[in-house]
Order: sequence, then structure tokens, then C-alpha cells
Amino acid sequence: MSLLTDELRALLGTRKVYTAPEPLGAAAGRYFGLAIGDDNPLYSDPEFARAQGLPGVTAPPTLICETNQYANLPMNSDGYAGHSWHLDVPGTRQVRGGNSYTFHRRVRPDDVIIATWEIHDLTEKQTRTGADMLVVSSRATYTNQDGELLAVNEETIILVSLDGAA
Amino acid sequence: MTSRVPPNVGDALPALERTITLTDMVAYAGATWDWYRLHFDPEFVAAARVPGPVVDGQVFGALFVELLQDALGPRCFVHELSFTFRNLMFAGETVRCEATVVEVGSDRVRVDLSATILAGEYGPQRPAARPAHATVLLGTADGPGAR
Repeated sequence: MSLLTDELRALLGTRKVYTAPEPLGAAAGRYFGLAIGDDNPLYSDPEFARAQGLPGVTAPPTLICETNQYANLPMNSDGYAGHSWHLDVPGTRQVRGGNSYTFHRRVRPDDVIIATWEIHDLTEKQTRTGADMLVVSSRATYTNQDGELLAVNEETIILVSLDGAA
Repeated sequence: MTSRVPPNVGDALPALERTITLTDMVAYAGATWDWYRLHFDPEFVAAARVPGPVVDGQVFGALFVELLQDALGPRCFVHELSFTFRNLMFAGETVRCEATVVEVGSDRVRVDLSATILAGEYGPQRPAARPAHATVLLGTADGPGAR
């Protein structure tokens, strides 16, 4: 049975745009560095950052692709408060395939993040054990309030059928 | 952090090992505005039938960047980074990130990366993220979009 339903097919090419309600802020980058254990002074020491040619502290590069700050969504019952395509297909489980980031410049405290998500590919495949799966490829393009391109995040989510696996 | 000597093809950059505790995961949840209960809530974790709170896989990307910037110095810029997830990592486990230079250009290097979960209470050593790759610009702290 095909996992690519008409409902999912209709998502191809659709876009969701989120505009952060406030600038990212210097504290966000410093906090993220602390949380992951990265004490790079580029995130916390303005003088050090300026000595490297930067205008001041910047966020750790991957933060823009990991944060839900820009989404400004309420927390659901599972505790999640970020972008979702709601790919809830009965009889399947979701696994994360991977991410491919392209960073165009470092994110600064005064950047207001605008994230544009789009599903750009849906491909049916089979697992090595013969189970049907659907590979959902989406792209988030992050810009700031002045239209400057900050980063692009290509993300793969895989829906695997719970039936048919050997 | 001072300027580094440009690396050569085949060089292994200093590896990064990190034990990620439940406290670290709670801090990460706050820092990313992501309070998905699978990352910290024992009741939710048990209902999901996984053996422990699951580390958010995107943290491997952050650790790869840390490794690259620590090795290549503050005047570098991670321009491209990609990784494929292989296995779940659980609270209290240790991940080892490794990097090998595979291409050297006049202003950039390309690096192969891997993240491996070391053997522990949840099982034997297993890959967390692999394959993984990065392109890092050298001689500049910011990217081509900076002005």
C-alpha cells in the first residue's frame, strides 16, 4: 500500500513562513554555547569577536537550525513548540534521516529570524527488509528582517511502514 | 585560540568527546525552545518504549562545529555541514566526534566527520551520525553573506 497519500502529496510545494517576534539576542547564543559545552568566546566575548573581524558576539552557527524561537507557537501536549508538517500517518513510525546545512553568515544578536519551510520532494522507497517507506525532504530558508540570507537547512524525515518488514 | 597552520589532506583533527547528561539535555531543551518530552520525561520515554531519554540528534551538528572551530581557529567559517543519523543516543552516554581532512583548497578545507556513541549502559559502541561532511572557509571568521 502506498504511503504517499493524496493528503501528503498536497503538501508538496506548500510553504510555511515564521517570523520571530523579537531579535535573537546575545543571551540566546551564549546560553546555547553553555548548554552544549562549547566555550568558544565568539559567542560571549565582544572584544574577542571584534578582534576576529566580526561586529560583535554571534550565535553558534547551528543554533538557527535548532531553535524554535522564531516559530512563536504554543507548546503541544508532547512539549513541542516548533515547526511541523504533521506527518501523522497511521501504521508508520517516523525517523529522522539527516540534515544538510549551508551557512551564509554568522547570526548576530540583532537579527530577527524569518524561516520559510517548504516540502520539495516526496519519494517512496523500501527498506532493506522490504518495508515501505516515504522519504520527505523539506527545506528551511532563514533570512533576517532586511532580507539577508543567513542559512539553509535541508532536512529529511522518513516514514516507515510498520507492516511488511521482514 | 590563535591562527592555526593550514591542515593537510589526511590530517586527523583533534577529536571531541562529550558525555551528555540529563541536565545537559534539559539545558539544551531550554536553549532551543524545544521541550519535546522524549528528551527528559521518564513517563513519556517509557510510553515511547525507548530505553532512556533521547538526546536531540541535532546536537551532533553543534558538536561538529565546535570540533572544527577549535581545530581551525576563530578565523574560519563552517560554510556547509551535513550528517545522516544512524542510532539514538541516550542520557548519560558519551559521543566521540572525529574529523579527517579530505580536500585542501586555497581558501577552504573539506572534512569527513563521524559521531560515535561509546559503549555504555545502553549497549555497545555504535554510530550516531555517519556519513557527515563539512566545508570550512579559512582566513575569515564570517561567511560569504556577511557585509
